[in-house]
Amino acid sequence: MSPTNGAGANRSAKILVKDLNFFYGDSLALKSVNMSVYANSVTAIIGPSGCGKSTLLRVLNRMYDLYPKQRAVGEVLLDGDNILAPSQDVNLLRARVGMVFQKPTPFPMSIHENIAFGIKLYNKVSKSELDGRVEKALRGAALWNEVKDKLHASGLSLSGGQQQRLCIARTVAIEPEVILFDEPCSALDPISTAKVEELIDELKEKYTIAIVTHSMQQAARVSSYTAFMYLGELLEFDETTKMFTSPDKKQTQDYITGRFG
Amino acid sequence: MTLYDTRRRKNAIYVSLCYAASVFGLVWLAWILCALIFKGSAGLMPATFTQMTPPPGSAGGLLNAICGSLIMSIAAVALGTPIGILAGTYLAEYGSGSKLAFVVRFINDILLSAPSIVIGLFVYQIVVVPMGHFSALAGMLALAIIVIPVVVRTTEDMLRLVPNQLREASTALGLPKSMVIQRIAYKAARAGLTTGVLLAIARISGETAPLLFTALNNQFFETNVNAPMASLPVVIFQFALSPYADWQRLAWTGALIITMTVLALSITARVLGRQRIKS
Repeated sequence: MSPTNGAGANRSAKILVKDLNFFYGDSLALKSVNMSVYANSVTAIIGPSGCGKSTLLRVLNRMYDLYPKQRAVGEVLLDGDNILAPSQDVNLLRARVGMVFQKPTPFPMSIHENIAFGIKLYNKVSKSELDGRVEKALRGAALWNEVKDKLHASGLSLSGGQQQRLCIARTVAIEPEVILFDEPCSALDPISTAKVEELIDELKEKYTIAIVTHSMQQAARVSSYTAFMYLGELLEFDETTKMFTSPDKKQTQDYITGRFG
Repeated sequence: MTLYDTRRRKNAIYVSLCYAASVFGLVWLAWILCALIFKGSAGLMPATFTQMTPPPGSAGGLLNAICGSLIMSIAAVALGTPIGILAGTYLAEYGSGSKLAFVVRFINDILLSAPSIVIGLFVYQIVVVPMGHFSALAGMLALAIIVIPVVVRTTEDMLRLVPNQLREASTALGLPKSMVIQRIAYKAARAGLTTGVLLAIARISGETAPLLFTALNNQFFETNVNAPMASLPVVIFQFALSPYADWQRLAWTGALIITMTVLALSITARVLGRQRIKS
């Protein structure tokens, strides 16, 4: 589905989802979903619980591959290449398409190591270059000033909001092209939420972003495009301003105004 | 009497029963410890650690038995830990839902509760009989067979405690599964894995039955693993049953040494376990 008014025409689709069906065992969780994620912009995916929005997100980096009973049928084109193809190397794909989860998940190591870990995985770097990239990633996640004096403290010693920004820094550090956010603020207080949203707004300059959220206000604040999903179907996809002011579908209108979901 | 009063009275009765049961259990433990310390410390002197087990009627120590126990336990742990960790990793990370994992887990549970004398007999049959003589090697093997199921079980349990989000998060960075396990899961479960190994050491350090059939005993200092080797449990067994007073005293001392070692290991395991929960 493309934005109806053609406003997306001048933007290039970084990810193109074509006729995607997704199965948990025998049950169908996504029903022929078609949508685009435009480069250097934020696309929000909203909808009531169980509508398939997280499922859709987890297809984009093939996270579902971890679970043998889950499978996706259809095409997901990242820069024109089908990432669902069996020949796709999933580890390289995940290095290009990073993901930040609902619950902050710092690794059981120091703040510095949390970031350096991913960098060392893909690059041979000298110690000074590594330190530089760790600092850059932490600055990029607006966390540097808070942790610069305790880089060797455990990542688990940080507050929830800081931990989430650490996870964002860790994702940014390996320089992906796309970042997927799966309800990144649902475990955070309003102040931390504001910081993360501010960060997402900055990150879209360099990265393509897709975010699943339960908060309509958040979708309205951070995204340029919004997809509304309901019962495994993508009901409507358009520019966020249009979605929140004059959606085409009645269900979208009802959900956004809080009449169900 | 109101319903509330009845409930209070019932509560008081059950709580006192709980206390009584704990006290009953602890009394025996305290008694054992006191008897051990009282009788064991009488024979505890530098000679215990520097002299060999004596012939009846002369003074001596437990050096050969202590060293034998150390050598065989270390070898058994060195042999059993890698196998146990690898098997436990398979069960927790690769085998979930598979038939093979189900069978392995089932057999491991049987092995875990198998009487150690059966393991001793088994090693006797497959090692001692073909070799034609008792040896420390057979003893190590028997102890390793006891170590393996303990380590398999704790490894699986501890890896299962690692939150799945951590695995997903590291997978999302592009880590292949093998590295997720080595670099993230093992690290998150490190304290638990260490606890498992410590518990296994505690378990084998008191085993007598499997050693009776395998390493037997040796009244001299022996480092050749192809020969019989003394160990604390077997020496205690032999000396405690003897009619000689100095042998009996050494048996008490040996028992004290083993108990204190096991106690120290258990406390270390507990402390490590608590750290894991805190993080």
